Amino acid sequence: MSTTTVSEAFHRRPTYGNWLSVALVWAVLLAVPVWLPAIGGYTSLATRILAFGLAAMGLNFLLGFTGVMSFGHAAYFGLGAYGCGLTLKYLANSTPLAVLIGALVGTLGGALFGALIVRRKGVYFAMLTIAFGQICYYIAYTWNDFTGGYDGLRGFVRQPISIGPLVIDIQNNMILFYYFVLATFAVCVGLMALLLRAPFGRTLIAIRENQRRARFLGIPVEFHVWLSFTISAFFTSVAGALYALVNNFADPTTLNYVISGDIVIMAVLGGMRSFWGPLIGAAMFVALQDYISSETVNWMSFIGLIFVVVVLFFPRGVLGYLRRLPL
Amino acid sequence: MSLLEVRGVTKAFGSLVAVDSVSLAVDGGELRAIIGPNGAGKTTFFNLITGFFPPTSGQILLDGRDITRANATRRVQMGLARTFQVTEIFPELTVRENVQVAVEAATGFRLRPWISRAEAARVRDRIDELIVATGLTAQAQRLVGELSHGDQRAAEIAMTLALRPRILLLDEPTAGMGEQETYQIAGLIRRLHKQSHYTVVLIEHDMRVVFNLADRIMVLDQGRPLAEGTPAEIAADPAVQAAYLGKAE
Amino acid sequence: MLTLVLFNVFNGVIVGLFYVLMALGLAMILNLSGVINFAHGNFLALGGYFAFLLVPYIGFWAALVASPLIVGVIGLILERTIIRPLYPRDPVYSLLLTFGLAFIIQDLCRTAWGPNALPLTVPASINQPISTEFFFLTGYRLFIIGIVILAVVALFLFLRHSRMGMRIRAGTLDLETVAALGINVRLLRSFNFGLGIFLAGLAGVLAGGQIGLNPNMGDDLLMPAFIAIIVGGVGSMVGTLLGGLIIGVAAGVTTVFYPSGSEVVIYLIMILVLLLRPRGLLGEEGMMT
Repeated sequence: MSTTTVSEAFHRRPTYGNWLSVALVWAVLLAVPVWLPAIGGYTSLATRILAFGLAAMGLNFLLGFTGVMSFGHAAYFGLGAYGCGLTLKYLANSTPLAVLIGALVGTLGGALFGALIVRRKGVYFAMLTIAFGQICYYIAYTWNDFTGGYDGLRGFVRQPISIGPLVIDIQNNMILFYYFVLATFAVCVGLMALLLRAPFGRTLIAIRENQRRARFLGIPVEFHVWLSFTISAFFTSVAGALYALVNNFADPTTLNYVISGDIVIMAVLGGMRSFWGPLIGAAMFVALQDYISSETVNWMSFIGLIFVVVVLFFPRGVLGYLRRLPL
Repeated sequence: MSLLEVRGVTKAFGSLVAVDSVSLAVDGGELRAIIGPNGAGKTTFFNLITGFFPPTSGQILLDGRDITRANATRRVQMGLARTFQVTEIFPELTVRENVQVAVEAATGFRLRPWISRAEAARVRDRIDELIVATGLTAQAQRLVGELSHGDQRAAEIAMTLALRPRILLLDEPTAGMGEQETYQIAGLIRRLHKQSHYTVVLIEHDMRVVFNLADRIMVLDQGRPLAEGTPAEIAADPAVQAAYLGKAE
Repeated sequence: MLTLVLFNVFNGVIVGLFYVLMALGLAMILNLSGVINFAHGNFLALGGYFAFLLVPYIGFWAALVASPLIVGVIGLILERTIIRPLYPRDPVYSLLLTFGLAFIIQDLCRTAWGPNALPLTVPASINQPISTEFFFLTGYRLFIIGIVILAVVALFLFLRHSRMGMRIRAGTLDLETVAALGINVRLLRSFNFGLGIFLAGLAGVLAGGQIGLNPNMGDDLLMPAFIAIIVGGVGSMVGTLLGGLIIGVAAGVTTVFYPSGSEVVIYLIMILVLLLRPRGLLGEEGMMT
């Protein structure tokens, strides 16, 4: 009988399909500065896609692999962005440090809030994540002195990275910056894959597949959900930090629940049950949104339509249909 | 000292008393059956023992330790393993993978980001052991959701065995099964009891299974204990006959 | 000073009543169908806009009834067509759907009526100042209070005493048993959804008369409605009512002493409740928790 890709996650084979498709993905990503301008795109679009892709993959760690719904991940995206920007503005001239601190802030937020709500279930849990997102949004746009309020946080610039005598000018060179983001993305994705292939990942999948049975195998479900939530917040906040570096700007609207919804639709559009799905979903959604908003004043209707159509007709997402994953 | 001791537990949902002052003492190596008409409170009784909710009154002791306030996860970790009326398994995973989750959980590996080759080998061996013990060697690579009812139950039992439980609580293990499957599962339970010396508490409706396997039987009726004794005693008890056996399949 | 305090408390009560009206509709849909209706604020806007359309033809009073009805029916149709298929699936899908609906409805409103504020004319007979000392007691504000109280009381009576209402209540507790009793659960859910949307539409007409119409008018009420439900307790309509009033009045009172803190206080109350009584003031343990 066939094995589903759910069970692929259990084997020592990587969760992300066979080696060929992995190699393909990386080849495409590495060659972006070559082929993207050729089809009319620009490198910073790819950088933005990587950032959102990481955010969506981070969310999917929780949603797709643990089976827990969060509709407030914009909070961690934003905490990462502001943490990064504020670090560069006030603390240190180091880009890697800024990303790290942004990630720390976001992860802490996830850990604390997650602990508060972990005993709640289902839609109620989701409602609470939405509310937390809005709290962060509110803080971002009212704490003017610190965060810059409605106008967002400016006054910081991504710093070149010096490794010994070598200076990587990610400040002025968009292509080098893209590779910096890609490298960070690679590290995160590698970590995520490691976790999901390990017993820990299998435990999360078990919780998703049958929470009751997991509990009655002696697995402390709430603790694992909290861990998954915190880890997911980590990846999403790294993504937020990277996003802030794209335009040297931390945008309060990235904390709104609209962005939370966008991140979820990216994961679903690409395929919730697959590893790379959210990245593909992010690419499609970001590109589509860019295109639609430049073409018509009614872009909101079209974005809304994307949500409705995907949910009704393509719930398994692109990779889900291509690989016939279960729902 | 009994392995599992339940002292006068009562569970009331508002004004509805589902379980009324029921006591049970199970010794190591025993196979105890709990029978009774539908609505007798048998599953609620199991739920109390396994920690779904706290009893309104009464005490539960495992190996002499008071577990009345312990949560379900804790109880499993202390050695209380359970199967459910509706088989609780991971349907989208293979038999091997189902058992793997259980083995890794039991070995304390569930949080691990990485395990060594040696540890992985030990896990594999243990999985093989359990699959052989439950007679699922032929089905090991198949998705559990696609198996027959009997094999699904066997897989569920394999998962509980992975926990090296002190006591097995089986809620209607042969529910909804035909002749062949009932025979398969009853045989498995018998082997576990007689050969591997597991302590088992069963809820069952199939009287042939009950009378064939049980050392002692407890009868519940409307949440209250009606009778307790050996199969012979229970079969002869007129009150039991009136309440239940007369209406049995 | 006293006048200032009263003014703000009074405002708080009005705002609280709007929160209550929104939250009750949202809660009905959440409790019975497990759907978080992101588009609730947009149905509110739709209610206001339809009233705007109808007032020139049938007058304010008729529009007050007709507009929510129309919006409720639209909600019912949407439930029947695109939400119903999602019930058996993972709840994430129905969330995403109402999310998308919110975008679409907001954009349709903007396209049809423009992005700028539109006034909703209220009959002069109600729009009178009542007292010169308490300047904030306008006829319209009292009218709002009256209508909302009427609607809430009617809703509670309906849920308590009518057959449909009792079925809805039973359904929020145990939908399986209700279905097993032979009750048409699909119809129940559709009707319940339509009723929830009706309440949003009503809130829209009332809000329109107070602050005017614009495509985003429901946005500011959506999150407080969520919080009202969280504070009051999921599954409890009385709790939701309480939650809405508490946060509304709290926000109003806060405005007296610390004007920019009125939104914060709502979030703080929510966090406090989560820390001290996680299931909400009147929430039942086990009710979606």
